[in-house]
Amino acid sequence: MSSAPAQLAIEAHSVRRVYRAKPADVVALDGVDLDVAPGEFFGLLGPNGAGKTTLIKILTTLLLPSSGSARVFGFDVERDVTRIRRIMNMVAGGEQSGYGILTAREQLWMFSQFYGLGTREGWTRVDELIEAVGLAEQRLQRVSTLSTGQRQKMNMARGLLNDPWILFLDEPTLGLDVGAARAIRALILEWKAAVPDRTVLLTTHYMAEADELCDRIAIVDRGRVLAIGSPAELKRRVQRESIFRIELDRLDGGSAALARLPGVVSAAAASGEGGEERQTMVMNLVLEEDAALGGVVGALGAMGSTILALRKSEPTLEDVFVELVGRGFEEREQDDRTAVPA
Amino acid sequence: MSVFVHHRTESPQAAADWSARQALMTNLRAVIGRAYPRVRGMVREPSWVFFEMLLPFLATSGFVFVYRALDAPQEYVGFVVLGGAMTAFWLNVVWMMASQLWWEKSQGNLELYFAAPMHFMAVLFGMAVGGLFMSSTRAIVVLAVSTTLYGVTFAVDQWLLLLAVFVLTLAALYGLGMVLASLFLLWGREAWHLTQLLQEPVYFVSGLNFPVGRLGFIGALAIAFIPLAVGLDAMRQLAFADAAYPVGTPAPEVEIVILVAMTGVFLALARWALAVIERRARVAGSLSIRWQ
Amino acid sequence: MTSEAFRARGDTFDATRTRGNGPADLGRSFRTATRLGWQMEANWTDPALFFIYSVAKPVSSALILVVMLEVIGGAAGREFRGFVVVGSALWSFVTSGIAGLAWSILDDRERYRMLKYVYVSPSDFVVVLLGRGVARVAVGAMGALITLGVGVTVLGVPVDPAGVDWILLAAVMALGLVAIVAIGVVLAGICIQTRQESWSYPEAVAGAMFLVTGAVFPLAVLPAPVQAIGLLTPLSWWIAGVREALFPGGVSSVGGDGSLFADLFGRAVPDPLEIVLALLVTGALVTLAAAGVFRWSERRARDRGLLDRTTGS
Repeated sequence: MSSAPAQLAIEAHSVRRVYRAKPADVVALDGVDLDVAPGEFFGLLGPNGAGKTTLIKILTTLLLPSSGSARVFGFDVERDVTRIRRIMNMVAGGEQSGYGILTAREQLWMFSQFYGLGTREGWTRVDELIEAVGLAEQRLQRVSTLSTGQRQKMNMARGLLNDPWILFLDEPTLGLDVGAARAIRALILEWKAAVPDRTVLLTTHYMAEADELCDRIAIVDRGRVLAIGSPAELKRRVQRESIFRIELDRLDGGSAALARLPGVVSAAAASGEGGEERQTMVMNLVLEEDAALGGVVGALGAMGSTILALRKSEPTLEDVFVELVGRGFEEREQDDRTAVPA
Repeated sequence: MSVFVHHRTESPQAAADWSARQALMTNLRAVIGRAYPRVRGMVREPSWVFFEMLLPFLATSGFVFVYRALDAPQEYVGFVVLGGAMTAFWLNVVWMMASQLWWEKSQGNLELYFAAPMHFMAVLFGMAVGGLFMSSTRAIVVLAVSTTLYGVTFAVDQWLLLLAVFVLTLAALYGLGMVLASLFLLWGREAWHLTQLLQEPVYFVSGLNFPVGRLGFIGALAIAFIPLAVGLDAMRQLAFADAAYPVGTPAPEVEIVILVAMTGVFLALARWALAVIERRARVAGSLSIRWQ
Repeated sequence: MTSEAFRARGDTFDATRTRGNGPADLGRSFRTATRLGWQMEANWTDPALFFIYSVAKPVSSALILVVMLEVIGGAAGREFRGFVVVGSALWSFVTSGIAGLAWSILDDRERYRMLKYVYVSPSDFVVVLLGRGVARVAVGAMGALITLGVGVTVLGVPVDPAGVDWILLAAVMALGLVAIVAIGVVLAGICIQTRQESWSYPEAVAGAMFLVTGAVFPLAVLPAPVQAIGLLTPLSWWIAGVREALFPGGVSSVGGDGSLFADLFGRAVPDPLEIVLALLVTGALVTLAAAGVFRWSERRARDRGLLDRTTGS
């Protein structure tokens, strides 16, 4: 065994993957370095074609890297294939696998046998998971008649059959409606809370999903990791100052009076707000740091202004992406599910 | 304890370290698991009873009547009936083994199979075992009904040998099916059209409705390479021991040796081909391309 | 494109488009489906290999029967050689014709997952299916011709072009083609209902019909009730008609001494006009039945949501 004490859940070093294609080869991964700690909920966030699925396929032993190395709990993805398969599972969004002729319960039992569960043990485990994922009513329905959301719940149950030490989730809410996507996210969080020592690698192009679920995120684009950090850390990269939006009943001296206060970097009337109609003033207030807010609130009181509303403006992960790449998510149309044979 | 916690293992390393018994049991369970949808499918979609039993019986009957029209000796009707029964297994190998991995790939199952911890040979064995349920039923029905209806009489002196030949023929046939499954996956659509070559041409050179020895050199080649040919020839010699069977083919004992060799070679080839395919697929990233 | 841009282009809803363009639309659908079918059938390999695959099957079928005749030997065997070669050659046509349509359903539903899109397009579903089946019928026709060629040149089947009744041949081939396609439509209707493993069904159906149509032996050797089924099958008359056209006055597959035909009509063999009429009537009945079966199957498929399912096991 090639493991060492306190192995990282995922170690990827200079992973590069090129697909042979015409008219030109496609570089799906271009030297990816990644360390994921055991128990971490790690996200790969990036637009379609960023290389997220390719990296998951390499880590799940379905694809070889063109160069570089990758390990899962110390097991090499090229050589220790069987060992990795014993401790991991994977669920992809939009998955249509399985046999339409079987019921959801039977399909899951079939997979339980592939993971070595006993005959009766398999049925019991399947029934428990069907209940847990909220598919009890459809358990005897044929797979071919399940809705997209129900099918994905079934896929989630399949992914948990072997109690995996690492779960790879490739766009697990792809194509689901808001309710179904929320149910899948809640299920993932519930599982993670029950087994906090298990690791998750999630790929998504939904900012909010990555924000909600992940401890750390790697922002990837065109096969490269652009930044890694917790959602809060990443957002801080684009916002070194604190921005507040403040609504006052009146402000003698206007924004210039606010701008002179200690710790205030700038103050400007917010555009597009209904301040005049409501006969209030809405200001965007940029502070050197959050701590300066106390002084501002005190000074405003002394100036006879009443604060009607105060809200901190948070940057989004999209802001981070725009800052890193210089363009938005939607501006890249290439889809790695069609353009890249991964 | 939460439903999500199943087998608590101390560490991923401990969880990945299976005993030989655990690995073996997982592979055996995987065989049953893959056979399961086939058996369920038979029960759930009973149209196969008509298409897989009644129609093949009628097709076999067609050849029986050719011999009747020619006033052929009765043992020739027996040859046709036995050939008709064994066709069930061959068709099963062609349609439900050889082309199956190609289907699994297009349906997105292949990735999940490769990502699971069992050996892929277990999946192929499972497909074979599941397919055997259907083809055995068909073979038994064709044999029993035709025998009764057309008055076929068997003269068996060596039951054990006949049983051994039958079992070995199935083993070799399904071993070949496993090899073909890998080749079909490798060649994609081109291989799909190989099914054209795997039916009537194979029936002809295997002597489906007549003693293969009559084909001379072609028959000898078929006996050397096609399990259907050698198995059928040995079974005819053993099941119609009193018939004036044309000479020119090896004795059943020799043909058993050929079948054993075929089984070994095919299984080894299948294992090798699977390894090649998995490696190539991981290099090319082609485990999940859907349309070719 | 913005709504303004659509309006600027004049892309507004045109109610007349929902009425379609009758025969021109049908023709276009058929041509497109035919081209698609041919590409799917033939573009997977080089022409030489395609040729080998296409003819190996029918020629082997004929050879199986020829060897069966040879192992028994005698005068009956020699007399039957032309009989079985023609029947066997025609049978490749039957198998391909039936399979072409049925496989289109399975291909489009299970492999390409396009059946639902074809179904909801304005094209007539049956017309598209027929177009898709043309390629296989063409392959079958090629196989049949080559098998006949092998029969004449290698196996010594005595076909004399000067003695062939070409008018009868043309008439029965046209009517027979309709009947084969009709049977294919029936099977396509059945395959909408059945599961993915139905690939072998067309062959099974063709194999079973082998028994009752006099393809490789005269119906007279069958029990009377089975002969009756044969006489109600258009393919029996088609094969009898082609044989009569190629070998005028030769062995008849529907008549002969002791046949049900002879018992019913008091004559040993039917004349060419009777064969054409019988083919016309039985073919029309099968075509009507095919339309009914297909419409029923389509309705049931919509009722049970079968058009976009996958059914592997």
